Amino acid sequence: MKRSKTAALLLMSAAPLLLTACDSESPAREGLYTSVEACTAQTNDSYTCQQAYAKAEQEAVATAPRFASREACEASYGEEKCAERSDGAHHSFFGPLMTGFFLSQMLSRNGAPMNGFTSGPAFRDSSGNWQRPATGGARGSVYRGSNRTAMVPISATPNRAVTTSRAGFGSSGHSRGFGG
Amino acid sequence: MRRVATVERPDWRDKAAACGFGFHTIDDAPYWDESAYYAFGLRAIEDDLEAPTEELHAMALDMVDRIVASERHMQQLAIPDPYRDWIAQSWRERQPHLYGRMDLAYDGSGPAKLYELNYDTPTSLFEAAFFQWQWLEDQLARGRLPSGSDQFNSIYETLVEAFGTIARRIARPFHFAAVRDSAEDQGTVDYLRDCALQAGIECGALAIEDIGVSGDGRFTDLDDNVIGCLFKLYPLEDMFRESFGPYLPRSGLQLIEPPWKALLSNKGILPLLWDAHRGHPNLLPAVFDDGGALPRGWVRKPLHSREGANIAMHLDDGSELRSEGPYLHGASIRQACHPLPRFEGHYPLIGSWVVGDRACGIGIREDSSLITQDTARFVPHVIVEEARGVLMA
Repeated sequence: MKRSKTAALLLMSAAPLLLTACDSESPAREGLYTSVEACTAQTNDSYTCQQAYAKAEQEAVATAPRFASREACEASYGEEKCAERSDGAHHSFFGPLMTGFFLSQMLSRNGAPMNGFTSGPAFRDSSGNWQRPATGGARGSVYRGSNRTAMVPISATPNRAVTTSRAGFGSSGHSRGFGG
Repeated sequence: MRRVATVERPDWRDKAAACGFGFHTIDDAPYWDESAYYAFGLRAIEDDLEAPTEELHAMALDMVDRIVASERHMQQLAIPDPYRDWIAQSWRERQPHLYGRMDLAYDGSGPAKLYELNYDTPTSLFEAAFFQWQWLEDQLARGRLPSGSDQFNSIYETLVEAFGTIARRIARPFHFAAVRDSAEDQGTVDYLRDCALQAGIECGALAIEDIGVSGDGRFTDLDDNVIGCLFKLYPLEDMFRESFGPYLPRSGLQLIEPPWKALLSNKGILPLLWDAHRGHPNLLPAVFDDGGALPRGWVRKPLHSREGANIAMHLDDGSELRSEGPYLHGASIRQACHPLPRFEGHYPLIGSWVVGDRACGIGIREDSSLITQDTARFVPHVIVEEARGVLMA
């Protein structure tokens, strides 16, 4: 036979996969994003991105490391990267501002994201490393000083650089495209 | 080789919609056309198309080795100075490539003739790899094709396999980029991305216009991540000329197709191949154009023309054909005129796909003119069993 035995689509298909290959575990999609726009650009799912961002922002206050003073927080997270917060019981403290959020979704067999997602805040420390609160980790207490033990580094730290210019490619574009 | 009129699947537009094939009709003109198909015998496919494609591909790669060692050849191909070392280095490192399509003129008998190599930004991939395949399966199931009909089309399997092979050599994050407003180009990169994901490679997508550059000259995505590897469905020679081009050689960005493909997706490869393999049955005589009047029996093609733009043809009978286009400046080549065969008023051009380094399928586009342009329609093909003792022609 000179043709493919199957021709499956993952992203492009609205229909279930034609694949008869053995099952593999459902893949997951996880990304670390600095904005809803960046998340949407990657996932094409602005609704989930907005929800994930809102949920992460809400959690950021509760799960961010807590510091007794702005100075202590800024020593770890950089100048002007901390804000004063309150735990609602008249205890005020300082914590880093959320600098990003992660979103993870299980993908179904046809590659579409399944219902539900996990998201959470991400913080970048003063040396540029990304971290997020450890799930189930002990919440730090402001009175025990910083609680970096409750934060885990994000292994998928994006390699980042401040973009100074865009749209330097594409000026030869025709609407019909370039395929030859 | 025959052109056979046939009945369309009644639901093919729904099927196209279901798999994201939005550009089956372009500017109200049909692009996907299943009112007919081309039928080939197996021997024609294997001996006249598959084997020559692999041989021509090997000859082309061989030629890259010679070009990177020659300033004169780089000059002939109009490779801008600042990019020459970078291109040569990409070849010395054998940076992985993915795919290419060579265009062949073939009438069912005699050697197929190479028109050109589309080795940088080939499209019509999704239609060839997927939609054509689905058409065959559907029409077999509906009894519209002789049972046992096959197709020269393992493009999908070969793509997934090729991605798997080069997966470890692809820098991350890996993004696919095409011109934002081109449905056709976006569809093509969607399909390639689909295949990459099926090979287990995580990857994203962004518009070529959205690529950013950082203060230290690295390329970034919309999230300010430094892009590790970029699949770009965008001509290398255009990137060279645009404002971010000068960053390319020192940016650390890996490209697919890699920089050395600029030497093959360039019609200058045709005279170089002819010089090296004069008289090869699958090559047409070709020379670099001196700008003079085009003699009878020759075709003039700009080095970087795509989609049949700015082609001038002076046929043996003295008539002349010319196509419009944006490639008005720059060098050209001449190629001996070998007009496409005519089947019931249509002129089919065979796009023969090379994925990894393997010839793995064909897609046919036919136009109503001898010059295949972006008005061409994609027509599917089948391999039919050769009746005993009867040669398909």
